[in-house]
Amino acid sequence: MSRGALSFRAVRKVYDPEGKAVLALDGVDLDIAPGEFCAIVGPSGCGKTTLLNAVAGFETLTAGAIQLDGRTIATPDASAAPGEDRIVVFQNGALFPWRSVMWNITCGPVMQGRMSEREAREHGLKLLARVGLKGCEDKYPNDLSGGQKRRVEIVRALINDPAVLLLDEPFRALDALTKSVMQEYLLELLVQFPKTVFFITHDLEEALFLGDKVVVFTSRPGRIKEVVSVDIPKPRSHEVLTSPRFLELKAALSAVVHTEAMRAFEAGEKEMAR
Amino acid sequence: MKSLATAASAPSATPAERGVPLSAGIRKYVHRHFDLVVGAATLIAFFLAWQFARPLGIPGLSAVEPPTKVVAASWDLLSSATFWTACYKSVLRILAGFALAQIIGVPIGLMMATNRMAFHTIFPVTEILRPIPPVAWIPVAIIFWPTREMSTVFIVFLGAFWIVLLNTIGGASTIDESYRRAALSLGSNRWHLFRYIVLPATMPSIVTGMVVGMGISWEMVVAAEMIASDTGLGYLLWQSFEINAGAQVIVCMLAIGIAGFVSSALIGRVGRLLTPWQGRR
Amino acid sequence: MDARTNARSPGAGSGEIVVSHASVGMFDRGGKSLQLVEDCSFLAERGLFTVLVGPSGCGKTTLMNLIAGYIGADAGTVRLDGVDVKGPGWDRLMVFQETALFPWMTTLENVAYGPMVRGIKTMPEIRAEAGALLERFGLGEFKNRYPRELSGGMQRRGELARALINDPLVLLMDEPFRGLDAMTRQLMQEYLTRLFEETRTTTIFVTSEIDEAIFLADRLVVLSRAPARVAAVIEVDLPRPRRFEQLSSPRYAELKEQALNLLYAEAAAAFEETGAGADIKEAFERRHVAD
Repeated sequence: MSRGALSFRAVRKVYDPEGKAVLALDGVDLDIAPGEFCAIVGPSGCGKTTLLNAVAGFETLTAGAIQLDGRTIATPDASAAPGEDRIVVFQNGALFPWRSVMWNITCGPVMQGRMSEREAREHGLKLLARVGLKGCEDKYPNDLSGGQKRRVEIVRALINDPAVLLLDEPFRALDALTKSVMQEYLLELLVQFPKTVFFITHDLEEALFLGDKVVVFTSRPGRIKEVVSVDIPKPRSHEVLTSPRFLELKAALSAVVHTEAMRAFEAGEKEMAR
Repeated sequence: MKSLATAASAPSATPAERGVPLSAGIRKYVHRHFDLVVGAATLIAFFLAWQFARPLGIPGLSAVEPPTKVVAASWDLLSSATFWTACYKSVLRILAGFALAQIIGVPIGLMMATNRMAFHTIFPVTEILRPIPPVAWIPVAIIFWPTREMSTVFIVFLGAFWIVLLNTIGGASTIDESYRRAALSLGSNRWHLFRYIVLPATMPSIVTGMVVGMGISWEMVVAAEMIASDTGLGYLLWQSFEINAGAQVIVCMLAIGIAGFVSSALIGRVGRLLTPWQGRR
Repeated sequence: MDARTNARSPGAGSGEIVVSHASVGMFDRGGKSLQLVEDCSFLAERGLFTVLVGPSGCGKTTLMNLIAGYIGADAGTVRLDGVDVKGPGWDRLMVFQETALFPWMTTLENVAYGPMVRGIKTMPEIRAEAGALLERFGLGEFKNRYPRELSGGMQRRGELARALINDPLVLLMDEPFRGLDAMTRQLMQEYLTRLFEETRTTTIFVTSEIDEAIFLADRLVVLSRAPARVAAVIEVDLPRPRRFEQLSSPRYAELKEQALNLLYAEAAAAFEETGAGADIKEAFERRHVAD
């Protein structure tokens, strides 16, 4: 597991819509080790998604650099370029509804010629079984429940064997229990297929439950407010949520997150008043 | 779409910024106003093709008078009283037919949407009459109404009426139940419900009906004037065709187009005044 | 509002809702009769914050509509301070799921609407009162804006103001914070808690978010799968005033676990009967194998 070291150096992003400069990210320095699960928490509009988009190659930087395994993947000079080594699982999902689950999963490796159709199918079946979706391979995405779709998407991302998995609030729309079971599935999958994970969420509990490291962002401009290592051993299951150490971490971080949420809220109201 | 365009043209723009000032300036302008530049280029190409259609032998276009002749003809026409009388007549007919459509269509629509009895009484009739294109009414209208003027206004009215009616019914019957409930809880009576909830909640749909209805009104007035009238822009257009004045035909077409555009813009302005809470979209 | 609220002792001016043996049915499109609420009884005590939670589609909203008087019961009664509820009224005001501020009225006009249609005061008086209330809700600068021009959090506060200007006996809230992001939602919960702790207006609040339920509630009424009945009542003994720090307390975690287990047992049973909620069923089973 030497693949997937992600580093951010003095990352800065200024948006310039209609000449009104908005500083979205400022001075972001962060190192994510190979195989590390890094959860990013912060108020709406703090630049979390911008940062994820920059890693994914959907967005250019204004200053600074992002490196993946020593290779620069984003600077102000080069234009943005997505790559198969960084795969995004979106908030709202992006399965092709007119194709079967199996096609959705295997299209990547087959089209790139990394696997034969048969290989891909075998591999896909194995992965689907792992996430409790045995027998769903020939269904259409719309025949699946919300939680099942999320799992298919994560499987689709994993089968491409990216160096980094980028997740943008993937469990946002799910109810509490389904969400917590999805989180357990994700952790289990990552034990079998270790990946560096860049995970964005609004939910502090989710961040602490999943993350090896939790990064709290300030409200706009997005800067790193605090980085906490979660020293709760993996594998974790939901019992962790009521453990003293977990509650201790949650208490410590919730004050920080709360302050930032408050600031973002007040700034938002002030901005609207103008 | 926008991000795609930016991403694609970014590499070419970056070196340009460091290059020769003049060409860099042009390239930067093209980069910024890509849509404008392409649009203008297409228009210029079109007019060139039109102008030189005959020497170039472009089929179809070569049968039409070239733009230079159209400009000359428009000068003649615009300085004649005939043209302005025609404009005036058409606009009057539009105003009358369109206003009648609002005055009759909106209340009937509101009644149908809020009263089940009214709906089931009127709905069957509208369903039979509505699919008939207003133009198909022209002969009956000529027989039925005492003057040609009235027939023309009637056709315009019909064109706008259905769309106004349907939009009003649609808007008033899809009001979010929670608005009604909130208003009831807060102590509203039936009049309050109508005045403060139903009417404003339907207004955006009424405005949509007005905008679309105005477009149809112009179609109808032109068709009706061609057949049933001896004044107006539609009549003038047909007349020009019959006396083989090709350039004048084009001028009339353009005039009708411009009039339609201006009246739609005006209606849009009125619509924004009627629905100030809606923003500019 | 301020003067009266501060003068009265907590909960004194507010009402008590008793739902007893209420049943509500309806016919679906195929003409089949469908039971939404069945023999449901519970008490929303004067000056307490009662939260209804239940699996999705269990009839929570129907129950709220019944209390608000938008629909009638087939059997049983809903009483406000001993008087049968017969229709909608300003003594029980509802704050809706997605915001129901009238989009065509400014914030001030929205807040003034209730007193205006009831004609209890002159317009200048009403406008002054509404303006003062909006000031207190931090919306003073936004009183001439349309709801579209407000953020989600502001709209919810505007709606609270529109209800509270009428000094209702009971506040009914049907998932009012749905659609807000998690952090804004948390802030709005704190806001509502502070407001409640000041006024002690009897509140019935529906939600499907368990964290929200426990944070707000004095008493948690857990509803069964459809048709809605009361499956359990949990007294939330977290001290008031509530602070977000309590979300990290062991007692909070315990209450959450207890409520979640009740809820998902209901959801799993609902799946057995109707096939709805496959996700939840699967999650529940997995949890129990793991346990």
